[in-house]
Amino acid sequence: MNKSLTAKKLIVTIVLALALLVVVMFLCSLIGTESISLKKVFSSKALQGSVNPDYEIFVRVRLPRIILAAIVGAALACAGVVFQAILRNPLADPYILGISSGAGLGAIIAVLSGLNWVFWGWSPIAVFAFTGAMGTIWLVWFIGRLTGKSHITGLLLAGVVVNAFFSAVIMFLTSVAKSEQVHSTIFWLMGNMAEEDFFVLWLSAGSVVAGILTLFYISPQLNAISFGRDDARNMGVNVTAIQTIAFAAAAFITAVAVSLSGLIGFVGLIVPHGVRLVFGPDHRQMLPLSGIVGAIFLVAADTLARIIVAPAQLPVGVVTAIVGGPFFLVLLIKYTHKVGWLSK
Amino acid sequence: MNIIEVTKLNFGYSKSPVLDDLSFEVERGSFLAIAGPNGAGKSTLLNLLCAALKPKSGTIRIDGSSIKSYNTKALAEKVAVVRQEFVPVFGFSVFDTVMMARTTYFGQMGFESRTDRKIVNEALEATDTAQFSSRLLGNLSGGERQRVFIARALAQNTAILLLDEPTSFLDLKHQVGIYDLLKAAQLEKAKTVVAVTHDINLAAQYADVVLLLADRGDYLQGPARDVFSTKHIEKVFGIRTFTANVGREKFFLPLGKFAKDKQIIPPQNPNSEHPK
Amino acid sequence: MNKWWWLLLIILGWSCAGFAIFATRQDQSTHITAPDNINRIVSTAPSLTEILFSLGLGDKIIGVTLQCNYPPAAAKKPKLGTFWQPNIEAVIAARPDLVVTLGFDQQRNIAHRLKRIGYKCLTVNIEKVGDFFNAVEKIATATGSRQQADELVSSIRKKLDNLSASAGTGDKVRVLYVVQREPLRVAGRDTFVNEMIELAGGENAIAPTVHKYPPIGSEQVYACNAEVIIEAAMGQKQTAQQQEDALRYWSRFKNTPAVINKRIYVIDGDTVSRLGPRLYEGTETIARCLRPELFKNKK
Repeated sequence: MNKSLTAKKLIVTIVLALALLVVVMFLCSLIGTESISLKKVFSSKALQGSVNPDYEIFVRVRLPRIILAAIVGAALACAGVVFQAILRNPLADPYILGISSGAGLGAIIAVLSGLNWVFWGWSPIAVFAFTGAMGTIWLVWFIGRLTGKSHITGLLLAGVVVNAFFSAVIMFLTSVAKSEQVHSTIFWLMGNMAEEDFFVLWLSAGSVVAGILTLFYISPQLNAISFGRDDARNMGVNVTAIQTIAFAAAAFITAVAVSLSGLIGFVGLIVPHGVRLVFGPDHRQMLPLSGIVGAIFLVAADTLARIIVAPAQLPVGVVTAIVGGPFFLVLLIKYTHKVGWLSK
Repeated sequence: MNIIEVTKLNFGYSKSPVLDDLSFEVERGSFLAIAGPNGAGKSTLLNLLCAALKPKSGTIRIDGSSIKSYNTKALAEKVAVVRQEFVPVFGFSVFDTVMMARTTYFGQMGFESRTDRKIVNEALEATDTAQFSSRLLGNLSGGERQRVFIARALAQNTAILLLDEPTSFLDLKHQVGIYDLLKAAQLEKAKTVVAVTHDINLAAQYADVVLLLADRGDYLQGPARDVFSTKHIEKVFGIRTFTANVGREKFFLPLGKFAKDKQIIPPQNPNSEHPK
Repeated sequence: MNKWWWLLLIILGWSCAGFAIFATRQDQSTHITAPDNINRIVSTAPSLTEILFSLGLGDKIIGVTLQCNYPPAAAKKPKLGTFWQPNIEAVIAARPDLVVTLGFDQQRNIAHRLKRIGYKCLTVNIEKVGDFFNAVEKIATATGSRQQADELVSSIRKKLDNLSASAGTGDKVRVLYVVQREPLRVAGRDTFVNEMIELAGGENAIAPTVHKYPPIGSEQVYACNAEVIIEAAMGQKQTAQQQEDALRYWSRFKNTPAVINKRIYVIDGDTVSRLGPRLYEGTETIARCLRPELFKNKK
């Protein structure tokens, strides 16, 4: 941590982390309520017309779900890193600026509308949730700009206001909805993983990776910005442009994640802190590593959610909260000892 | 040609003006100290000179061109700033912190080149902080941290250094150390140094030119021995001082009502003139 | 080349590859089986399980939900999840020929996922009494048991008609059907419970509402002047104990005819709320509460 980061060191670390991710994903795909054997999965694959539940469970239920968990975990963790950097707030998570209530509003509208079509693999709830999330972020950004130069406070306050308002609308809509619709919405809001179309997974993975790459590209500037906007600007960093790009990319990958799997908390809050503690605050390293650690964390959490109360399933958000809550408490105590983030 | 030219600068945060029709120049390679009481606009002026603030009217020219014509990166190639507030960002090492000045020169994938490393090491040597280069910023004392931030400004390789009270919070040894460092940068590296300071005595010893800002837009510019006179100091700062000659310069010791040697100050002349 | 252009290129390439690989694939339907060959059926709701058993398909059922407890044989079947969360892995592992689900969001979602993987699914909406009869016919068609279905349907219809003839005539009894106590929720006019109430000679004490199962306040309880209050048994306590609790709970509404005449009944909710083959039993239970005099000799 005391030596500087070099390109070579970073590449090695990332490759090792990726290897770990692959191992974890593979192991978790073998865990589930039904026991399957790998041999059976691959042996009968060639036989058409004969039913091979092992293959289907492995390839069409578990793998897609695990891939989805990795995508969502990576997206939320990286978004968390960026929001904590831009908002200069260690308690920031990807949902802090109203994304959660915007997505939730989109979701409940989709459920109430009773729409049924499937758009190239995306369900109405996913599309509406994505639109809700992106729309809310834009609204918060817009309101924040209206409050003038002191951007951060304006943004945070706008986020609080928008969150409160949309939450009220959600509560109203929930109260007039049918009971199954309410159940569906709440279930979706709690965050859950279901296997998605491979096409959806392909494009979502691409979007999230593109977003993370964008953020990686501006990591040195994010480092400079963590010393203060004015300082960064005087060192030559175009703070406004960088902030806009960072904000847009982080919001985008969060919206993609939320549209696919509902609101899963704590990943975006805990993983950045954990990675920073171990690897230091250099964003060039923290960003890709948070993405990978976030993926590992969510894959593991999802696996736990699948088996712990079988045959029912816990919503993933419950597992991340149970694990994340105490961890966060420990972090909080640790941070208040160090004179640091919380002291100014 | 003067490296900084300020003409009829006007600035205020609301209705009341802080800087009123201010005009002055800074010669290339000189050391300018900006002094004055609290609220006179010293930090504001510094922020205007690095484009962190925009003037209400008037012009600022940096190296011959209007400051408005510079984009962020171009201005950073001319002007480096060391601010007073210290934002706690403890996880970075000294080396990484100084390297941030080179951010705009990094390669595509965001890593420094050999040249960047050389420049940073030179800056660390010049500020005598090379010994801490792998220590975390948070594990240094205030004085050491201040030197690191000056190293960062040096690593930016600019012609102009702007500093906002670089020696507040520092003990005597470090105060002198910083001033020596800045003077060395001026003399050995041909940098132009503009430092806001509360310490008029040290400013007198190190600065070539002094800009004394008074309330309501009054100001005086010139060599220290002209600007720093008992009359001016007492008028601008509003205190009685004991003045004595050190050598080529004077020094000023403010004495208040309960100071031990208060009687040493001669009685006030009711016909003292205005500074301007 | 600039790193941003590279990024754009990668995005475009990835998207095109995605379209090429996946967008042209069709949904696999490798497991289509003719109705006569359906031998392994999974049910994801108690009402569906009851329907399947009534159609004589009990032997072919290979998986039900935790909540499926009627008929007793159903409780012995392998449990593949809950009513709210059928376990998709367990369903697949059971290798069904047909999966029958209800039509609300979660179950429709499961059906969609199973269909995508290639399993045959039948989704039926059962929200009103008429829907129930349609559902029976749909399931029968899919499993080749039309004969049993016709017998079942006509038998239930006949019994309901008889009941309606005896109980449905005369003054309508104003009744509140309570589904939940905290907060107080009743069955509204736009529900199948209401249909059963009307068949049994009753009239919903609550006026038409926006919600199907509206939460109501004390004011409305007073205003509705219910002559009979029926509660579905909840929780684990004995029915007799629940009956006592109910009497105590409702005694605060002193001027309501139902309270004055102590016509507060706690019934086994399943026969009513499941809207399944025990439709007649449920309706008769309600009728017993509304017109006890009709059933005195039949006791």
